[in-house]
Amino acid sequence: MIQIKDMSKWYGDFQVLKDITEEIKQGQTVVVCGPSGSGKSTLLRCINGLEPFQKGEIFVDGVSVSDPATNLYKLRTEIGMVFQRFELYPHMTAIQNITLAPMKARSKPRKEAEAKAMELLQRVGIPDKAHEYPANLSGGQQQRVAIARSLVMEPKIMMFDEPTSALDPEMIKEVLDVMIGLSKGGMTMIVVTHEMGFAREVSDEIIFMDEGMIIERGTDISFFQKPKNPRTKEFLDKILI
Amino acid sequence: MGLAYEFDWGVLWRNPYGMYLLQGIWVTIKLGLIGWAIALSLGVLIGTVRISPWRWLRLIGTAYVEIFRNIPFMVQLFFWYYAGPMLFGEALQYRINSIIGLNYYVAIIALGMYTASRVAEHTRAGFSAISRDHYYAALSTGLTHPQMYRHVIIPYALRIIIPPLTTEFLTIFKNSSIAMTIGVLETTFMSYKIDSETFHGLESTTGACLIYLALGLVVVRLMGILESRLKIPGMIGR
Ligand SMILES: Nc1ncnc2c1ncn2[C@@H]1O[C@H](COP(=O)(O)OP(=O)(O)OP(=O)(O)O)[C@@H](O)[C@H]1O
Ligand SMILES: [Mg+2]
Repeated sequence: MIQIKDMSKWYGDFQVLKDITEEIKQGQTVVVCGPSGSGKSTLLRCINGLEPFQKGEIFVDGVSVSDPATNLYKLRTEIGMVFQRFELYPHMTAIQNITLAPMKARSKPRKEAEAKAMELLQRVGIPDKAHEYPANLSGGQQQRVAIARSLVMEPKIMMFDEPTSALDPEMIKEVLDVMIGLSKGGMTMIVVTHEMGFAREVSDEIIFMDEGMIIERGTDISFFQKPKNPRTKEFLDKILI
Repeated sequence: MGLAYEFDWGVLWRNPYGMYLLQGIWVTIKLGLIGWAIALSLGVLIGTVRISPWRWLRLIGTAYVEIFRNIPFMVQLFFWYYAGPMLFGEALQYRINSIIGLNYYVAIIALGMYTASRVAEHTRAGFSAISRDHYYAALSTGLTHPQMYRHVIIPYALRIIIPPLTTEFLTIFKNSSIAMTIGVLETTFMSYKIDSETFHGLESTTGACLIYLALGLVVVRLMGILESRLKIPGMIGR
């Protein structure tokens, strides 16, 4: 579903990503972890073409992201993205947040878009919040609206960039539950997170990034039990206290 | 035989002076409102262009802002009025110069273009107050750049910058008084005219002061209503 081949990215002279190679098959959930500044967010942004990269290639469902002939707007409708700080449009209600893209990017009639939005709000457990503005929702509820906003485009892939790290502990679970449901339902997912419980439960692969490189990878058991790289061990010790 | 100044507040409403002032107010309102419409649309456009991915568009935007906000408004007004028509070449120049009410049009356009440079800067500040991920969130759902600006970024940014826009809206009415220097019969011009015909400048300029004050208070009130209407629900009032 996603193939990354020898991909490198620079910001000016600074190389953020170094020769990243990774393959994610349909239905797999890959967890990405690593210290701050290691390039995790940048990697996600390259996959859906939000940021350009200078070397290597990325294919999403067979389509090259860096090919100038690729319609990135269309490609992005197939890759949902969820952010640390939710990024709901504050001047729109929950349901307006969700229906904007189907109505504008896919010219769906309002009725149809709203019916679909309600169905998704039901699925993430907050149908009663449809007409609330984001600021009146808790963090966990906002993040679930954000997930519904991505799902409404019926993406083939979902990317999550630290979706629970801005949440209070009691809200983390409600968001993780939605994500676990998605993963078990067969969604292809890339999740940047340090929630190792989540990683254990659903990930098919965990990759550990440091200074722009993937320095360790494995299925969860090997990853947790005997990290090969001392940096990985050091990092895991910190987050697994 | 006192030489003391004798007040005559009647110059503010007696015929024909009262009519002068009313005409002046009407012209001031037109200058302010139409100038503002230009300033807001052009300013938001240029502010948007300044953060666009296209370098040459950004350059044009930056050049516009720097030229228009760094030259005193009165100089700009003179430039457009006296030199402006020449920019269109000899043939058109005479036709333009013979337009009736040219000074009104020049004043409105000059006010609009000058204020647009300031609106553009506020707009840009509003845009940069919005996080990078917010733009990415909109794009990641498949919206195009124009759709993202139109539905997500501009509505959000405008709400952020309503307070400085209120100031600009006020300032455009105040700056419109400078249009008298090219003979536009707006409030300030009319108050001078009353002075020159009656020698009651104290009363007529006091009248002008009150008129500008009243207009300003109306603008503040209107913007206040707009702000509370558009206030992002649940956010603490600014
Ligand atoms: N637009 C940019 N221009 C220059 N450098 C940038 C830019 N965006 C990010 N960087 C740098 O690239 C590096 C990787 O950033 P990135 O946000 O991908 O890290 P991350 O792994 O997601 O970190 P975090 O856990 O803090 O989110 C950092 O050193 C960051 O400072
Ligand atoms: Mg990050």
